[in-house]
Amino acid sequence: MSPRKVFTITIFIAAIGIGYYSMNAAPVLSDDSHTYHGDTEWRTDIDDAQQLAAEQEKPLLIYFWTTWCTYCEDYNANAYSDPAVLEQLDEFVLLAVNLEDNSQQAGALQQQYSANYPPQHVAVTPDGEVLVEINGYAETDAFQGYLDEALEEWERQ
Amino acid sequence: MMGGTLLIGAAVLSGLAATVLLFANYLRREERYLDAVTPLIGTTAGLLSLALAYLTYQFVTTDYANAYVWNNTANYISLFYRITGVYAGNQGSILLWAALTAVVAFWAVAVRGLERRETRLVQGITMGVVTYFAAMLVLDSPFKPISSEFPEMDPGFVPIDGTGLNPLLIDPYMAIHPPIMFIAYALLTMPFAIAVTHFISTVRGEDGLFEEWIGSVTRWLRIAWLFLTAAITLGSLWSYRVLGWGGIWAWDPVEVAVLIPWLFLTATLHAVMNYRSRSTYATLAPAMTGATLALIVYATAIVRSGVFRSVHSFADGGIGAALLVLLAITSILGIGLPLGYWLLREPETASETAADTSQSQQWVSRVNLKHLAVLSIGLLGFVSVWGLTFPVLNASVTGVEVEVGGQYYNLWSYPIVLGVLLVLGFYMDYDVEGRRRALISLGIFSLLTVLAALIAPSETWTLSNVDGSDALLYRLVGNASALSILPPAAYVCLTVIKRTLEFVPGNPNRNFQLKQVGITMIHVAFALLVVTVTFSYLFTAQSSLVVADADREATIEGSAVHEVPDSNYAVQVSDYRSYQRPEEPNVENMALSSEQIVSRGQEIHETRQPVYGTATQINTGPNATVIQLDNSGIWIGAMNASQTELGISEGDQVVGVGTVMWDFLPNMPQSDGVVVTEAANVGPVSNPPTALDQTRVEGTAVGLTVYQNGEQIARGNAGQEQYRQQGGMEVRDVLVDRGLTHDTYVIAAVDDGTVSLTVKQIPLMTVMRLSVGALLLGMLLVIVFDPAHGLARLWPQVTRQQTTAETTSD
Repeated sequence: MSPRKVFTITIFIAAIGIGYYSMNAAPVLSDDSHTYHGDTEWRTDIDDAQQLAAEQEKPLLIYFWTTWCTYCEDYNANAYSDPAVLEQLDEFVLLAVNLEDNSQQAGALQQQYSANYPPQHVAVTPDGEVLVEINGYAETDAFQGYLDEALEEWERQ
Repeated sequence: MMGGTLLIGAAVLSGLAATVLLFANYLRREERYLDAVTPLIGTTAGLLSLALAYLTYQFVTTDYANAYVWNNTANYISLFYRITGVYAGNQGSILLWAALTAVVAFWAVAVRGLERRETRLVQGITMGVVTYFAAMLVLDSPFKPISSEFPEMDPGFVPIDGTGLNPLLIDPYMAIHPPIMFIAYALLTMPFAIAVTHFISTVRGEDGLFEEWIGSVTRWLRIAWLFLTAAITLGSLWSYRVLGWGGIWAWDPVEVAVLIPWLFLTATLHAVMNYRSRSTYATLAPAMTGATLALIVYATAIVRSGVFRSVHSFADGGIGAALLVLLAITSILGIGLPLGYWLLREPETASETAADTSQSQQWVSRVNLKHLAVLSIGLLGFVSVWGLTFPVLNASVTGVEVEVGGQYYNLWSYPIVLGVLLVLGFYMDYDVEGRRRALISLGIFSLLTVLAALIAPSETWTLSNVDGSDALLYRLVGNASALSILPPAAYVCLTVIKRTLEFVPGNPNRNFQLKQVGITMIHVAFALLVVTVTFSYLFTAQSSLVVADADREATIEGSAVHEVPDSNYAVQVSDYRSYQRPEEPNVENMALSSEQIVSRGQEIHETRQPVYGTATQINTGPNATVIQLDNSGIWIGAMNASQTELGISEGDQVVGVGTVMWDFLPNMPQSDGVVVTEAANVGPVSNPPTALDQTRVEGTAVGLTVYQNGEQIARGNAGQEQYRQQGGMEVRDVLVDRGLTHDTYVIAAVDDGTVSLTVKQIPLMTVMRLSVGALLLGMLLVIVFDPAHGLARLWPQVTRQQTTAETTSD
């Protein structure tokens, strides 16, 4: 076999390998009802999340994100894999809204909280009243501060 | 309004006639009506250009009788961005693409003529593409009347103002990016047609035309590469300036989509350089040339069809299906045909010359190295194609969405890029030093690369934030140090420059020298680009600051200078302002005059309209006050309002918004129509009622002075603008200071007197900009001065150089 054929076949095998490996290694983003970020699990059904928040009497944390947002990856790597943050997040009902979701409900939510750029977080009461807004990326310390602030605000109400 | 669609319809007819004549003349080997073909192609190009010019004219004059114009511009938008509105949507950009392709076809036929039989097929295919685009535009025309948007209105109804232009597109880079991109796409239609013709004629047992036309193919491909590179650069600069978040490159689906043809075109150029009719790349080079257009249509379908939604998808729906059909056609012709030929018809063993055979049997030879380069660049392209494709496949088969973000592209592309750089360095070295020494230096630099990958002074140096749950290979590459890019890049720079110094100075052929300089510039620039892109992303430092009383501070002379924590920056707020656009709303742009109301007549009966004029008579009755405008038959009727309440006297300029009613007051002979409304909706022009408020953009901005290490480095504005009539869409206005070693990039969120600032320091941007410049300039040198296929050869009166048989092309 000529060297060129060997090269060609090798590259073909590499391509198939990349294809197969990457498809299996790609992190699951969402299944029927959840989306995953770092070590967190977020609801994607807006109605369900709101209802659950009302039932459990917990504030709702809405996360506006997209797949291509580099700051969202930073959140995954820094905040959403930090045990302290995870503990704080337990106090909330988590709802993630993909900004590319073009459903009417998601659109309404985006408009209601003027979420235009990923990432943005809004902590709200089950009635939809804003507790804290976090626009853009916040370092983990600051992020935790915001979450605390939201919880304090929630306690006060 | 029908005029535009008629122009396109006529273009379809002339394009179709040209295509049919060309195909018939090719198939029947005759020359019937062949003289008519060139004028027909010219007519098609002329008609499509005219349609484009007409559409542009409608945009400039804001002719909202056209629904497409109404959808993509508005009165407050400046003339320049009215023009860019032409290609803001699907139909307009397809028209631009079609017109440019037709012009390219006309240029080709004018230069080349139609004497050769194969030329007719090449032109036939090109004109087929043009005709297809034009037919798409007849079905979904950019000249649809506004009544298609407002079927409930009377046929003559024309809105006063448009809905606006996507605010993200209001940017100088974005204004020139699409035309340049479409020029590249249009140019690539020619090599596609040549490649397809080559295979058709080979399959038919005739000589293919690649051998003879190699110069032409090379020129088309190189010029297209130049434009495509420029287009991607402009797009990146736009994303850097406008989006504020993504930086120059964020692996957004649309960015990946445009990278695919670029990578593939780069690989194709290398394959075509290597084309020999009887042996090397006899099939692959023309096959790759043919496939490029299919990939472009694939990329466009992705952007336009709405399969992938992203910040970039400015227009979706509608034209997607037609593009998918085009994708099928171009794929069959550009990919299926060569593949079929390769599998079924290609001669078993190509009769290689003795020299070629002995060369290609050696593992390390120029031919084989180039082959490896072509394959590796192809593999890089595959990573991008697959990244776009498999999430869709996966979601449609299993219903599970998987994440394909920057990490996937970065981690797979990085080792391949390292490999490409090492192969490139080795090739250049081998050319000068011979095999033994080159192999030794390759060994040294490969070892250095591996060692450098292990040295990470801090976490910032590692390529990605991977953790234990990630796949093994991702962890391996992700934990490698970015230092590993330096040895291969240095290797390339050293060997490329060394080779140039070896070959160029002594060569008598000036064109050869200039071409080699071009080749050197391209390859060095590529190596630098890879380094700078990697480093600028990894070493971007950012810190934030909140200035609570920015509005108050702005009024103080010499206000406080705020240190930005964790950085050597400090900022001072010198201005705080809210503004809106249009700044000084002109009533004439927003309301109809009494004359206009009269001339529109019945068509606006019972519609809500704003109207203005001079109050020439005011009658107050028990139930209403009526105001006559300009001594005309048009009156404003304010129900349940007295004159004092309205605050208007005769002679005042008055404006009101209400429902136009014809023959509303039959017993008042001097009245033709009344604009019926309430007191709140009527007022003097100097203080128009809120119903007339036509604010389109609300902006808040702060003036900032930025200091670094105590020295002032930049002054400017940052803030955001909200587009009220576009769903409250918000666009950031960033302050960028371009520095020699790094850019300072300030994003501000301004709200209620508080300013949240993010200051980013992005290193090496200037090197990156220079590299792109060198890339483009280098390619320009190659295009013009290549002794074999350069443009300079075609202008013998300018430079008469003998064509040296090249032993060392790239």
